[in-house]
Amino acid sequence: MAKAKIGIYWAASCGGCDCALLEVNEQILDVIAAADILLWPCAADPKYADLRGYKNGELDIVLFNGAIRTEENRELAQLIRQKTKYLVAFGSCAQSGGLIGLANQSSKAEIFQTVYGDKEHWPEEHTTQNDCELDLPEFLPRLTHLAEVVEVDYVVPGCPPPRPVVSALFSALVAGDLPAAGTVFASSKNVCEECSREREQKKITRILRPHQHEPDPEKCLLDQGFMCMGPATRGGCQAVCPAANMPCTGCAGPTANIRDQGAAMLNTVASLIGTGEEGEDQLAAEDEILSQFDDIVGTFYRFSAATTIFKERYHERNGSTR
Amino acid sequence: MDNTNERFEPRIVAFLCRWCSYAGADLAGVSRLTYPPNIVPIRVNCSGRVDAEMVLGALEKGADGVLIGGCHPGDCHYVSGNYKTRRRIALLKQALTEVGIDPDRVHLEWISASEGIKFQATMTSYTERIRELGPSPVREVKEPIHG
Repeated sequence: MAKAKIGIYWAASCGGCDCALLEVNEQILDVIAAADILLWPCAADPKYADLRGYKNGELDIVLFNGAIRTEENRELAQLIRQKTKYLVAFGSCAQSGGLIGLANQSSKAEIFQTVYGDKEHWPEEHTTQNDCELDLPEFLPRLTHLAEVVEVDYVVPGCPPPRPVVSALFSALVAGDLPAAGTVFASSKNVCEECSREREQKKITRILRPHQHEPDPEKCLLDQGFMCMGPATRGGCQAVCPAANMPCTGCAGPTANIRDQGAAMLNTVASLIGTGEEGEDQLAAEDEILSQFDDIVGTFYRFSAATTIFKERYHERNGSTR
Repeated sequence: MDNTNERFEPRIVAFLCRWCSYAGADLAGVSRLTYPPNIVPIRVNCSGRVDAEMVLGALEKGADGVLIGGCHPGDCHYVSGNYKTRRRIALLKQALTEVGIDPDRVHLEWISASEGIKFQATMTSYTERIRELGPSPVREVKEPIHG
């Protein structure tokens, strides 16, 4: 059997996804035995010209990590889509915009001010350096996920994708037995299914944040008041974060039966809030708990904001939020 | 809607509980009470059925306002559905405020089956409130990224 041709590409990414590929330890040797890596900017030095030189569909599979933030990200996503048979959204940013999707709540000027400081230090899109014309790719008006730009065949979720999930993809790849398009390489059930903590389904009586309070290591984090995204989040990670005494942040995206992960979590939490038997006399106590929330979008939509209504900063003409 | 000579006609989606608010709408109808035609009523079995995704979905698809009508506290046919929706809407309003959407674009009101007049008054005042706010900023045409 001819060796498969694979590619690994990063767009707007931190590099964590590339590292996560090596978490499979010696399994990487099976991958290298079964496949040639033709594209991997993080580890090798192929040029875009090499990629352009391949025939359409010449690559078998490309693992694409990172979000679409610049014109270069968009262009490469489109080019890679032409050159590969299967395209994998690898990691939260490619899947749903990821954590950096929250940057859509800031304007380009605010982002540049934070990253580069005062305006004189901002990069110019067109400059002349040592008699050479230099064009930087355009900073797109909004960050988005891979599937808004091109068709995606598989999703490998996680920030970064955890070992069991990456391993499942590599096993399918090495066996030459890829599943139907649309497959998400993770559990169809939620993180709670894999979590060993004790759940009493108590009421949420207060809202706690993990940097302010140390969680009890045995009890359900949500029962304790920590906003653990487990109920709305796809499993497959073996609940590593709750096992390390940290609430799930929802990096694997929604379970198979949910479309909007943040909305599902918001429903869940709203249903649990309260101090006792629901009734009119409880409304004030409930309002007090509701007032303890800080940053709802950043909590419930931490990795999926870019794919929902929270993908923009809005401007009311006459409203109170103007 | 930038044409200032033309009055802005808001599009409002109303999720109405079948036991109270929808019956209140029926009473308003048979009582021949008039109210603005800007409301698109959707009957649900309980205001507790209205999950956050339905409200956000309505806004995303172009509603200028979303109204949820449920039973008064203590009156819920399913005992506590209205309490759950009350907390849910409170969190939703907070989330919308965080991204710059006016929280009044989502509104919860208790309207019982006998309150045809309250139904009329609520639909009238809410339509006016949304007219005042203007078109939803979510509706503004944005540059597509896939271009």
